[in-house]
Amino acid sequence: MRLEFFGRRVLILGGSCDLAMALAELLIREGLQPILTWRSDAGRERLCTRLEAFTGKYETVHLDLSGRTSLQSLFSQMQHDLDYVVDFAQGDMECLIGSADPDEIHRYVSANVSTRAELLRMAARIMVGKKRGRMLFVSSSAASRPNPGQGFYAAAKLASEAIYRNLGLELAGRGVTTVTLRPGYIEAGRGRTYLESKGREALKAVPLGRALTCKEVAEAVLFFLSDGACAFNATEISMDGGLTVGK
Amino acid sequence: MDTLFEIRASLGEILDIEAGEITPDTYVVRDLGAESIDLLELSVAINSRFKVEVNEDEVFLRTLRVFLNEAREDEQDPLAYLQRKYPFLGEGRVGEILVDMEGGPVLKVKDLMAYVSWRLGDN
Repeated sequence: MRLEFFGRRVLILGGSCDLAMALAELLIREGLQPILTWRSDAGRERLCTRLEAFTGKYETVHLDLSGRTSLQSLFSQMQHDLDYVVDFAQGDMECLIGSADPDEIHRYVSANVSTRAELLRMAARIMVGKKRGRMLFVSSSAASRPNPGQGFYAAAKLASEAIYRNLGLELAGRGVTTVTLRPGYIEAGRGRTYLESKGREALKAVPLGRALTCKEVAEAVLFFLSDGACAFNATEISMDGGLTVGK
Repeated sequence: MDTLFEIRASLGEILDIEAGEITPDTYVVRDLGAESIDLLELSVAINSRFKVEVNEDEVFLRTLRVFLNEAREDEQDPLAYLQRKYPFLGEGRVGEILVDMEGGPVLKVKDLMAYVSWRLGDN
C-alpha cells in the first residue's frame, strides 16, 4: 500500500524520544521534512546523532513546554509554516495524588495542558490559513487504565485528548483533522524502563503477550498521518495488544 | 493597502459570496451570516493579509455585553466605558452600537476596518 501525503512539513513535539526519531526516519524516506523539537542539549545531541545520515533533510527547534516563551520562537523558526503536528511531548510526574507537591501539580498541568493548548492554537491557525492540516496526538493506554501513581499523567493525557478531539470537531470542515493514538506498553522510553522495573510481569495482562515495538508504533503513526487516514478524525484509537479491554 | 478591499476579499472567499456586495455598513453576522468558524478564518486572514496580531474578543466585539454589564455594575457611563474598552471605535460608532443591540450582533465591516487601522497605527 502506497501512502500519500498532502503536505511536507511535520512538526514533531518531543522530538528526541525513540519513537519520534524512528518516525522521523520514516517521514524522511517518504520525502517529508520532519521538524523535531528538543528541550535539552542532551536531547538535541541524541537526535542529531541518531539522524546523522539524514543531515539537511530534517530541522530541529527548541521547545520547552514548562514556559510559554519558547512558543513564539518555535513558530518563527518554522516561518509559520507547517502541515502536520505529531505530539509525543509529555513531562514525567509519577506519584500518588495524595503525595504530590502542590506547586508541582500546577507546574505539570500548566506545561502539559495549558502550554500545549496554546501551541495547538497557533498551529491550528496556520493550518486554517492553509486550509489543510493533520494533527496526531500520541496518548497512552494509561489515559483510560492508569496504574497507581499515574493520575497526573493520565489527567494530562485525557485533557490533551479532549483538545485534539475538539480541534478535529471544529476544523475538519476547513481541512484540518486530528486523531489520537493510545499505545500500550512499548519497548522504548518510559515503557521500557517500566517493563524492566516490573520484570515483565506487566505483559501478562496483554493478550498479545508482548510489548509494542518502536517500529510498529512509528509505522502506525505514519499511516494515521497519511491522506488515506484522514477519516479517522476527532477520535482515539487504541494500539495496546488488547490490554485495555480485558479484566 | 486598501483595507476595505482586503477585508471584502477575505469575506468573499471565506463565505463564498460576491465581494462587491459588501460595504462598510454591512453587518458581518446579521447580513452575511458569518458563523464562529468563519470568524476564526477571518481573524487568520486579517493576521496574514495585514501582518497584525488579532485579538478576537476585541475585533469581533465579543465581550460587548460583558462590558456593558460591568459599566452598569460600576455605575459608569456605558458610552465612555465602551470607548475605553474599544479604542479603535470612535464615539459616534459606539453610540450607534448602543442603540442597535436589540437587532442582533452589531459587528459591521467598518468595525473590522477600524480595528485593522488601529493595529497598523500601533505598530
